Amino acid sequence: MSGGRFGGLAVCALGVLLTAQPLNRLAAQHVNVGPQIAFGDYREVSSDLHYRGTGLGVKATLMWKKFSADVVLSKVKYKPKTSAATANFDASEVDVRLRYYVTGPVSAELGFIHRKMDPEFEAQSVGAVTLGARMAYVLGPGVHMSLDGGLLFGSKFSGGGTTSALGALQLGLGLTVDALRGRVRVTGDYGFQRFSRKTNDGSGPLTAPIQQSLGRVGIALAF
Amino acid sequence: MHRSTSWLVALALVLPAAAAAQTIQNPTLRRAQQAFDNLDYRQALTIALTSLRERLTGFERARAYEVLGFTYSGMDSILKAVDAFKQVVLIEPERDLDPNRTSPKALSAFQVALTQILVVRQLRVDSVNFIGGQGAVGIRYTVTQPSRVVTRVTGGTLGTIRIDSTVANGQVNIRWPARMPSGDPVPAGTYNVVVEATVGQNSFSTSQPIRIAHGAVDTLPHLTGLPGYTYLPETEVPPKSWRPMGLALVYSGIALAGTSALSHGNLGSASMREGGMIGGGIVLAGFVMTLKKPAPQPARGNILYNSLLREQIARRNTEIAQENTRRRQQVSLTVVPLARPGGGR
Repeated sequence: MSGGRFGGLAVCALGVLLTAQPLNRLAAQHVNVGPQIAFGDYREVSSDLHYRGTGLGVKATLMWKKFSADVVLSKVKYKPKTSAATANFDASEVDVRLRYYVTGPVSAELGFIHRKMDPEFEAQSVGAVTLGARMAYVLGPGVHMSLDGGLLFGSKFSGGGTTSALGALQLGLGLTVDALRGRVRVTGDYGFQRFSRKTNDGSGPLTAPIQQSLGRVGIALAF
Repeated sequence: MHRSTSWLVALALVLPAAAAAQTIQNPTLRRAQQAFDNLDYRQALTIALTSLRERLTGFERARAYEVLGFTYSGMDSILKAVDAFKQVVLIEPERDLDPNRTSPKALSAFQVALTQILVVRQLRVDSVNFIGGQGAVGIRYTVTQPSRVVTRVTGGTLGTIRIDSTVANGQVNIRWPARMPSGDPVPAGTYNVVVEATVGQNSFSTSQPIRIAHGAVDTLPHLTGLPGYTYLPETEVPPKSWRPMGLALVYSGIALAGTSALSHGNLGSASMREGGMIGGGIVLAGFVMTLKKPAPQPARGNILYNSLLREQIARRNTEIAQENTRRRQQVSLTVVPLARPGGGR
């Protein structure tokens, strides 16, 4: 896992590809980019390994016709909340979602996540492909909320282990509020991930679940 | 100054002459008229016959025969009265007697006289305005005997156009489209409508001058709206509802309940801090949006209606443009009858 299927460079390149369009095409699309404050709750294996932390993130959103894409980079500094957890660690996460509007409020989502821990062995780094759906609703002028959910396929962990087909799930909630005539957007996102990871060290399968709740609040400039 | 003076002198000479043409100047005829007015028929008859041997204008001659006709009628000499009235009609074909001021005997003699001679009377041309090819000029006349009547238009660069030929008796109405044989409108100018009636060797013709003027046909203005149909607002403000608040609660509830339900049992109770903050923000936004005046929403029905209305107006304007193109190639004809110099012969 240290090699990383989705290295930072590749993610940056994808982000640039999604957002860096010729100016004449920008008129037909919407781009939002802005910083976020992240705060999270991380648990692993048992309730004894419980961490909470805060950090920073950047979120970029690109909308073009029926397509849209979210690219979120975040880094959260987790601190132990229980006595069994002894060391701090940083969780650097890349979350990329490509979305296609289907009908009504429903869009289909396809993407990937990659979370790298530092120090590497304090917690499990993880990578997975996400597949799910999103429902969006306009609460009022310039106020949008969304609810998304999906499965995490092909999960890979730095410490090994597997998840069943329905064992890795994610759930999300989002809010954007337009300000300054839509030039600035206040964003709020919530993401919950659960990996029902199982390991086997030769003595039989062991349950080693991973669970993270991550909230992000920030602003974004709209282009 | 000399010029205006000479005009005034000419006017002073011409006006009395014109007035004299329509009044009786001959003293003999005046005496005959006076004798008739005094019911002295014999005296009137003698003097009127005497006046006819004198030099009289056409008007006076007609009046002299009229006095004879009335006198013979008063003396019950109907045949002679008819002969006298025939002379009146031949001199003045348009002459009519006032039924309120004329005795029945004289009227009867006059009507008999009319039926015994061939004249075309009361030729009238309507004053009209129409688009060339889409209207006609009304022409009316009365012919006093059954005869072959040919109506022609002469003058200008036109030469002669026969517009009607019929055997008629009494009043005749015809309509002339004012077109050349080629179908083109008659050129602008002054023309004569000539009506000629023929019975055997006997014929009579009369004419009416007319002026034909050309003008441009009015074009239609383009439409900006249809009468009775107005554009509807394309957005409408929906009524306030608790739907935003309700949906915010539902979405947030699903997220938090989902978090709780999906949380792994080995990891203890799930953290609701993150979801609660974002969910709380969504519920707050939903509450604010519920209190706020809803944003105008597109009114699909009105948009469709306006679209149809715009299409209809555009289609009508296209038709108007085509119609105007056609009208610019058309000509408006104005036909006006002119004063007639005299009767027919």
